[in-house]
Amino acid sequence: MHGNRIRAACAGVVAGLVALAGVAALPAAADETCNSPYMGNLIKGQEDYLYVWALGVKGMGDGSDKLVTIDVNPASSRYGKVLNKVSVRGQGEAHHMGFADDRRYLWAGGLENSRISLFDVGSDPARPKLVRTISDMPAKTGYVGPHTFYAMPGRMIVQGLSNTKDGGGVTGMALYSNKGELIATYPMPTTDGGDGYGYDVAINPQKNVMLTSSFTGRKNYMRALGDLVKDAEAMKKFGSTMVVWDLKAMKPKKVLSVPGAPLEIRWSLKDGDSWAITASALTSKLWLVKPDASGEWQAKEVAVIGDPAKIPLPVDISINKDGTGLWVNTFMDGKTRYFDLSNPEQPKQTYERVTGKQVNMISQSWDGTRVYIASSLLANWDKGGADDEQFVRGFSWDGKELKPAFEIDFYKEKLGRAHHMKLGSKAMKTAYGLERTATLR
Amino acid sequence: MGSSAPRRFAESRRTLSALLLAAVAAAAGDVVAGGVAAAHEPDDTVPAAVTMDFVPPPAGSYALHAIMPAPDGPVLDPDGRRLPLSRFTAGKITLLGFIYTSCADARGCPLAYQVFHAVRHRVAEDAALRDRVRLVSLSFDPARDTPAVMRHYAAAAAPNGVEWAFLTTERPGRLVPLLDGFGQDVRIEVDARGRPAGPLAHVLKVFLLDERAIVREIYTTAYLFPEVIVNDIKTLRLEDRPARKAIR
Repeated sequence: MHGNRIRAACAGVVAGLVALAGVAALPAAADETCNSPYMGNLIKGQEDYLYVWALGVKGMGDGSDKLVTIDVNPASSRYGKVLNKVSVRGQGEAHHMGFADDRRYLWAGGLENSRISLFDVGSDPARPKLVRTISDMPAKTGYVGPHTFYAMPGRMIVQGLSNTKDGGGVTGMALYSNKGELIATYPMPTTDGGDGYGYDVAINPQKNVMLTSSFTGRKNYMRALGDLVKDAEAMKKFGSTMVVWDLKAMKPKKVLSVPGAPLEIRWSLKDGDSWAITASALTSKLWLVKPDASGEWQAKEVAVIGDPAKIPLPVDISINKDGTGLWVNTFMDGKTRYFDLSNPEQPKQTYERVTGKQVNMISQSWDGTRVYIASSLLANWDKGGADDEQFVRGFSWDGKELKPAFEIDFYKEKLGRAHHMKLGSKAMKTAYGLERTATLR
Repeated sequence: MGSSAPRRFAESRRTLSALLLAAVAAAAGDVVAGGVAAAHEPDDTVPAAVTMDFVPPPAGSYALHAIMPAPDGPVLDPDGRRLPLSRFTAGKITLLGFIYTSCADARGCPLAYQVFHAVRHRVAEDAALRDRVRLVSLSFDPARDTPAVMRHYAAAAAPNGVEWAFLTTERPGRLVPLLDGFGQDVRIEVDARGRPAGPLAHVLKVFLLDERAIVREIYTTAYLFPEVIVNDIKTLRLEDRPARKAIR
């Protein structure tokens, strides 16, 4: 069913994109270098598992969204195989995930049904278990589309994409305790240049700064892409701001103008650095966010990604551990590009390779030698027909070439559309998993 | 949950307790010669894992939301008396952290210990806070951190007018609910065969509780700055009763 519908919808998409000079992508954030700074137990050696949050497809397997666990340790006899899958009820546009600060629980959101699923990955990292579902975020907060899950100490920031009133892009953040209780809400600013939109969250504790970015509302992200790009009014309703927040006070300090839907945000992890980078989907550019000489936070365009006129649609990005390189996936041309960030003021593309007919997510191991790529953007935005590949592909990276290591065909395995990825390890098994799981039920 | 669940739960706790004890035993090699690494009186300048590169917002200019109630359960004071933890979490603004005395990770317990010292020093100098603030260090290594060991560990913390309680528990079964209630993780390093193979591993967390034992802030290595903590303590003191109700 999906193939025909998407094929028809996408028949004129590229032309439409070019004609309208813009469309938004809904990428996703994830890899070992983009985790919250409050997570102390990063996997700096060989990861054992890749958790994939997959969108259910009607008529395919059980049709439900599911968390898929893949064995990614080359030393394992089951390397490159599916170890486990946990379905949640129905299809809710599975999208992003985020670990709690202790890495024991993985929060995963649905953009359509606004449900948040909490998986216990600490008791048995090879076999995650669904332990709680939060279904009342819209009713309690007025926010819709839980997107980014960003760990705070003992808490989780959940960035919404939309709202219950009009399904537009004005939204906010909800703060939950690690046990899933709502603590507070924070509206995205709509004054002093703020458009009220939200997307990603990234924190620099040393600077007491939280950065947020902006995308679009439910009416747009749930709409068939072919229709959306023909609606000039709808295409105006994409975010064009980033916000600098006082982290301690959780108050907006400054709104930065970043046209073209700035999406994923990555801070440099190198000691002493205090800059972050993002990619604007509609305008296909890299933006640098850093303080100027007077300490005032500024955003400036520092590079283009591919040929913006062809709308390559940069989606997910992944920064390496020392802030010297950045992977950028571009959905439309299926390319994975590497930018040298030695001078973050002037990123230079040094490598590219077509890694799929459509590519969205990209994650890398801490040492950067292993790279994982997933295919799906949104159910209604993915390509159609033969271009609708749904996969997770593993690669090795030696600094010069991405070399295929394994591949899982998510359609062949009846798993659905492969979206967000997070890494897991046997070493993350916890001492008290059963007790904590009990409290979440 | 079926009727057999409570029994399975109890069995799992016993198993975990045994595992924890085994891990503690496996970690025995880390004990400093002579028994326990005695606490050292540190400088007020704390070698924080992350440098504080900002001016924190003034006390009272922001809200500290109610995150969760602190758990309660029996603990042992340095004299071996069995008391409820609530005796040490209610009635004063409380800064609480889990430690184990043999911890050698510079960014773990020793860092927390130094930060506690720095906070205590600043609180002692403020007459408005001195009697309203308490520090609590609770061991998550009950097998080794006996009351006597905690008493020895605490000896270096000379009295300065600010209460600092060094507590432990009788056994892992008493500790687990407290860890669980605070959300303090502990991982046991295991070898390839799943056997305990190393010391306890944890993400350092420090909890700030209001006078009603409600957790109002949680700090970790990435955000463990004495100046911020003292500001937060002052923020709690500045709350008037109506404002507190609003925050709840």
